[in-house]
Amino acid sequence: MDRNLNKLQVKDLVTIGIFSAIYFVINLIVMVSGGITPLLWIFMPPILSVLCGVIYMLLVAKVQKTGAVLVMGLITGLIYVATGQFTLVLLVTFGLACIVAELIRKATGYNSFKGNLLGYAFFSLGMVGSPLPIWLFRDSFSEQMVSQGMPADYVATMNAVTPMWVLIVMVVATFLLAFVGGLIGKALLKKHFEKAGMV
Amino acid sequence: MMGATETKAIHLDPRTELLLLVIANIVAFTYSARWIEFAVIGVLALLLLCCGCGRTAIKWVIVFVGLVAIQYYVIPILPKILVIMFSILTVYVRKLFPCLMIGALILKTTPVRFLIIALRKWHVPQKLIIPLSITLRYFPAIKEENRHIRDAMKLRKIKGLERKLECMVVPLLMSAAGTADELSAAAITRGIENPVPKTCIVDLRFHIQDYVCLLVGCVFIVAANIAH
Repeated sequence: MDRNLNKLQVKDLVTIGIFSAIYFVINLIVMVSGGITPLLWIFMPPILSVLCGVIYMLLVAKVQKTGAVLVMGLITGLIYVATGQFTLVLLVTFGLACIVAELIRKATGYNSFKGNLLGYAFFSLGMVGSPLPIWLFRDSFSEQMVSQGMPADYVATMNAVTPMWVLIVMVVATFLLAFVGGLIGKALLKKHFEKAGMV
Repeated sequence: MMGATETKAIHLDPRTELLLLVIANIVAFTYSARWIEFAVIGVLALLLLCCGCGRTAIKWVIVFVGLVAIQYYVIPILPKILVIMFSILTVYVRKLFPCLMIGALILKTTPVRFLIIALRKWHVPQKLIIPLSITLRYFPAIKEENRHIRDAMKLRKIKGLERKLECMVVPLLMSAAGTADELSAAAITRGIENPVPKTCIVDLRFHIQDYVCLLVGCVFIVAANIAH
């Protein structure tokens, strides 16, 4: 039993599964409201990085083992791809972000708050893959909208509200707000979960 | 599972459905011709109908027609700022439609355990199958949980967005942690940790309808690329 201590047990896997479900539902809620205004959609990653800090923090506190974050990211990415959201870009960014987060967790020994916080900041960057195709495939995207019956000047306006610097602002905001989210998560953990003896 | 009401409907192998999902993804992001999009929706509606989800099929088609109507008849007369909003919505949501329809098909016709068997046949690692199936299974539980929490919040008259969010997320995570313990205990009791290869009573294999569906899917990929 001892040599398996750092491997994911069934209990860990179940925990990861359940937390992924909650993470995805919160994603979905933000995304549906993102459908109402595109601006909210573009800034979905930073919003999520504030909201989901508590989920991540509780997960890494409960499963202090290699792979927890990676499996959660993969599942979320897979469900996104399965529901047809925004090509494979998201799966790739999620995968990369989770691998970086795993490396940080490994280096800091799974138990350090600072390490987990930094890991969470990188994990949050995975969501950037959701609106990324706007910038990545701008030409084909615009072309497609024109061919689907949009007048060209509308498409031009849409491109005008998403210049390159918006992408940079979005990425930086995601990264910085993840620290806020992580701190909120830590505070909630202290206030509720540690008292209940769950962590 | 094989109830009397389902005898007329076609049963697809879960693997076919997953492959169709991938195909739909590819087609959705390559097509440029409008007729291919309409054809995809039409064929998928037919598939849903054949699999015994006629009502779902009709619902999807109506929503799709509504979206197209909005795009071509309502958007041209809207002010510019609203146009940007709605055009992203209609263009993107329409792109999601094929995948959402197949997703609905999977949810309606395939129990999670069939999905697990299919994934196991593809040699997906157990470490991914277990959490994935738990995730899928837990979505309805969240919905139910959410209802209870809302009721409790109303009773205690909790106000303010921040406080509401906290009162929402904390109990959700609390119960999630509890459920995780219970579920894993149940799974271990049933021998999930047994390292020998798992056997199963359901015999999943490809039938003629699976090959037909995949063939049609491939035709669509080719057509989409030619039209592109």
